[in-house]
Amino acid sequence: MASVSEMYDVTWEEMRDKLRKWREDNHRNSEQIVDVAEELINEHASKLGDDIWIIYEQVMIAALDCSRDDLAWTCLQELKKQFPGSQRVKRLGGMRLEALEKYEEAGKQYDSILQEDPTNTAARKRKISILKAQGKNTDAIRELNEYLELFVGDQEAWHELSDLYINEHDYGKAAFCLEELMMTNPHNHLYCEQYAEVKYTQGGLENLELSRKYFAQALKLNNRNMRALFGLYMSASHIAASPKVNAAVKKANVKYAAWAANQINRAYQLAGRGTKENKCSVKAVEEMLESMQITMS
Amino acid sequence: MSIKLTTQAYCKMLLHAAKYPHCAVNGLLVAEKQKEKKKDNTYTPILCVDCIPLFHGTLALAPMLEVALTLIDTWCKENKYVIAGYYQANERIKDFRPNQVAEKVAARIAENFSEAAMIIVDNTRFTMGCYEPILAIYDHHENKWKCRDCNVDCFEDWCEAQKITLALLEGRSYESLIDFDNHLDDLRNDWTNPEINKSVLHLC
Repeated sequence: MASVSEMYDVTWEEMRDKLRKWREDNHRNSEQIVDVAEELINEHASKLGDDIWIIYEQVMIAALDCSRDDLAWTCLQELKKQFPGSQRVKRLGGMRLEALEKYEEAGKQYDSILQEDPTNTAARKRKISILKAQGKNTDAIRELNEYLELFVGDQEAWHELSDLYINEHDYGKAAFCLEELMMTNPHNHLYCEQYAEVKYTQGGLENLELSRKYFAQALKLNNRNMRALFGLYMSASHIAASPKVNAAVKKANVKYAAWAANQINRAYQLAGRGTKENKCSVKAVEEMLESMQITMS
Repeated sequence: MSIKLTTQAYCKMLLHAAKYPHCAVNGLLVAEKQKEKKKDNTYTPILCVDCIPLFHGTLALAPMLEVALTLIDTWCKENKYVIAGYYQANERIKDFRPNQVAEKVAARIAENFSEAAMIIVDNTRFTMGCYEPILAIYDHHENKWKCRDCNVDCFEDWCEAQKITLALLEGRSYESLIDFDNHLDDLRNDWTNPEINKSVLHLC
């Protein structure tokens, strides 16, 4: 099989930089990471310097994702040799046990980390992940709530909690978590947009109006967010079609929906330029928007 | 009433699940619109000719699902298709039961198409070798979903489906599969997956 560097015509430095980018963006493209990092470690270990340790960590986690226990074990041994007694490495050992579904042993590993250092957030979060892996969503939610009372600034945890609530269809509580995230990240259009989606799903006129406002806010923060644009269109359309609104509100929402429909059409026209196949989507979108207008009026 | 799957439909379903092994995924199945009901009592199973991968990750939010259903419904009408089924692969390996999302969406589809089927992928039996069909097919009877045994009869051509799915999984074709989520990230991404359709045809 051709090597990564041959297939993509890249140098080892480019491979190393790509790994760094994936690390920083927290990408979960595990198969690619394993391919690139395995080659990098096998062929260019000496050139990597101290970078190699963080790459070992990154590829170990990716290897667990791909069921490559051989690779994960090798990385773990290298890290153990270099950093004996490290809690960070101990946590990786725990993750390997989780991947092997040895949840009790993994739990004990994390407990021993927490005995030495009760503020170790990584170990606490892994324990919650074990509950999630076992399908114990209610327990995971409870533990995560307790965790967040102590570590109230942990954004990753708030987002995880909102996902857990959404999966349990507890949209009210999911909205609360997203509100926390929006407060600390007022410029993040993705949180705004997800909050709007949760409110829309909750349903009811008040929530629909809130959802429309937050879709609009997300669009203001990023005018290329298609979900926000579609969301604005859908929420405005539903409000306009509702029998409970007065004529003025209806008129305003018809206007918002019409504006959104126009923007959606433009976005599709722009995307479809040059490709014959995309023209079918453009047409489908136009027809969909037209057919929805009929139900609105 | 039961549905049958073509190779293309089965392939793309599995490719979608393979692309996001750590997420729940879902999507729709489409069948050719029947021209008219047969006058005699011969029974023809519905043939699902294609699959449209929808979302990965969080499946329980409404707005984008509504957009997708409406848009794909419009696309179906233009192409003389009808939305005939819904598939879902859950996030956890051992979780193979249909949940609230699956039942709700499938029920909505059944409102427009009475013989709609709900398909849940059995993750525990999902291997590269594709030795056996790994789906659980549910039919709607009296407001309940009943599981039907899925065997090679549920496929237009099981041998072909098995061979081609194996080839595409090994070739990592799932890396280029586009679902509706990918389309919303970049409108140029085509959720009809013409390239993968071509590969399937090519391998037939």
